[in-house]
Amino acid sequence: MAFLETQDISRAFGKLWAVNRVSLDLRQGDIHAIIGPNGAGKSTYFNLITGYHRATTGKVFYKGKDITRLPAYERCNQGITRSFQITSIYPKLTVYESVLMALLVHRRVSLNFFSPAMKFFKDEVLRILEDIGLADQAHRQGDSISHGDKKRLELAVTVGTEPEILLLDEPTCGMSPEETDTTMSLIRKLCEERGITILFTEHDMAVVFGIAKRISVLHQGRLIADGTPQEVRESEDVQKVYLGGTA
Amino acid sequence: MERIQAENKGSWFTQRWWLILLLILLCVAPVALSEFYLTVLCEALVMSMLALSFNLLFGYMGQLSFGQAAFYGLGGYTVAMLMTKAHFNFWLSLVAGVLLAAMVGAIVGYFCVRLRGIYFAVLTLAFGQLIFFIVFKWHNFTGGDDGIQGVFPPEYMKSPVIYYYFLLAVFLGSSYGLWRLVNSPFGQIVKGMRENDIRTEFLGINLARYQLIAFVFAAALAGLAGAVWVPFYRSVAPSYLTWIKSGEPVMAAILGGPSLFFGPVLGMFIMTFFHTWVLGFTVYWPVVMGAMILLIIFFLPGGILGYLQEKVKERKENAQRPRG
Repeated sequence: MAFLETQDISRAFGKLWAVNRVSLDLRQGDIHAIIGPNGAGKSTYFNLITGYHRATTGKVFYKGKDITRLPAYERCNQGITRSFQITSIYPKLTVYESVLMALLVHRRVSLNFFSPAMKFFKDEVLRILEDIGLADQAHRQGDSISHGDKKRLELAVTVGTEPEILLLDEPTCGMSPEETDTTMSLIRKLCEERGITILFTEHDMAVVFGIAKRISVLHQGRLIADGTPQEVRESEDVQKVYLGGTA
Repeated sequence: MERIQAENKGSWFTQRWWLILLLILLCVAPVALSEFYLTVLCEALVMSMLALSFNLLFGYMGQLSFGQAAFYGLGGYTVAMLMTKAHFNFWLSLVAGVLLAAMVGAIVGYFCVRLRGIYFAVLTLAFGQLIFFIVFKWHNFTGGDDGIQGVFPPEYMKSPVIYYYFLLAVFLGSSYGLWRLVNSPFGQIVKGMRENDIRTEFLGINLARYQLIAFVFAAALAGLAGAVWVPFYRSVAPSYLTWIKSGEPVMAAILGGPSLFFGPVLGMFIMTFFHTWVLGFTVYWPVVMGAMILLIIFFLPGGILGYLQEKVKERKENAQRPRG
């Protein structure tokens, strides 16, 4: 049984099929990359899995259960969390508070109306911040930290929901080469130490081939290749797309 | 981090001295004030509760409610009708007023929380006016534009001084409750929804559900304000539910500063006392009020308390900066 599976999933915006009958299995514990040129449908595919968009046709299964009609927050409660391509953080909350939010929700104390929120999960929040490398920024406001740190803050927040699957939409977008390296080794660490299955999109091919165990290639909404980095590298369809021809 | 917390604890009194001073002033107020100004102070306390309830939605959740007075009026009408028509016990009437406001809040909120921004504001306005017109037109039941007179508190509370202390206790109790609420895990989620609703939804939060809970809390607090005010004023009128009344907490929050817990309270105190003072020499209060709001928006966009907080922060930062 696949951990996460999409069956013939499609999404149309007007007459444009942004994602067109994509069937894909995600295995537990994998680091799985989705690549493709701009407009290939990577983000839309993410949105279909996480519930940001409803599928026009097709189904999504998670641990064998059909989650196609579940709202986004419910999917998240079941262990599917995501980051956004355009960094999505809490500008006026501190780094500490932002990660705390995730833990309050995931550990189901968010309907406590009376106890001070700051008394909860101190150790857990600090551990996550240390793992991600933001411990020294804990008391700074979200909008006052650097772009790379914002990206990492969003990662820390998603880790706070203690996910089983983490979908990262361009996790190193706009980062310097050094920041990219630290972030990617961080992602590998999350996968190995916390057992989180990772699905991510990325423009930087060096990054993708350096870390992914499996790669799927989307082009014009369709899945044109799926396999190990070696198999994908050798696929003729992929070479055509990336060398400027049309598939 | 523990060191930072220890420092904060040590300076609790130095940080909160103004709060203790205000409490003492409020406790001795009946000795110093004439009965007229004591009445004005009572009104300021009650309207501050309305302002706090509004600011739970505006300052903390980021949604502008333009119908908060409807719940204030419902609380007041429930108490007035139960006490004059059904001869209900005073305390039970208060509870009924709060419950009815909360129930209507749940129904109105159910529709409003699906919307954001201006649409939310307009829908709360529409519901507020709808409730106003029902009360205004249903003459047999609510007394229509005559309102209801002769709502008296129990014998032992008829003295304005005693009722003042009762209002002060209700104000302090509900402020404390609200303070705990906005700093609780639920309050943290409410602030998160204001900052970034999509991110919050993708942490696993059903936005509509949490907004509805906040809406009901706000309606209940507004209902409580109306419920305790009417027996003091001895009457209730449909004007309590109008959109003009709903505008008062909006202006108070802007005046005092919506980003701080006590901002709307300061705003409401200034508005209530200034109103009384201005009425001494002109009836054109709205003109004065409008000018005041304009000045605040142009020169102190964070409100008075917001401005003060900024100044204090600047001074602290300057003091910490190494000299030379």
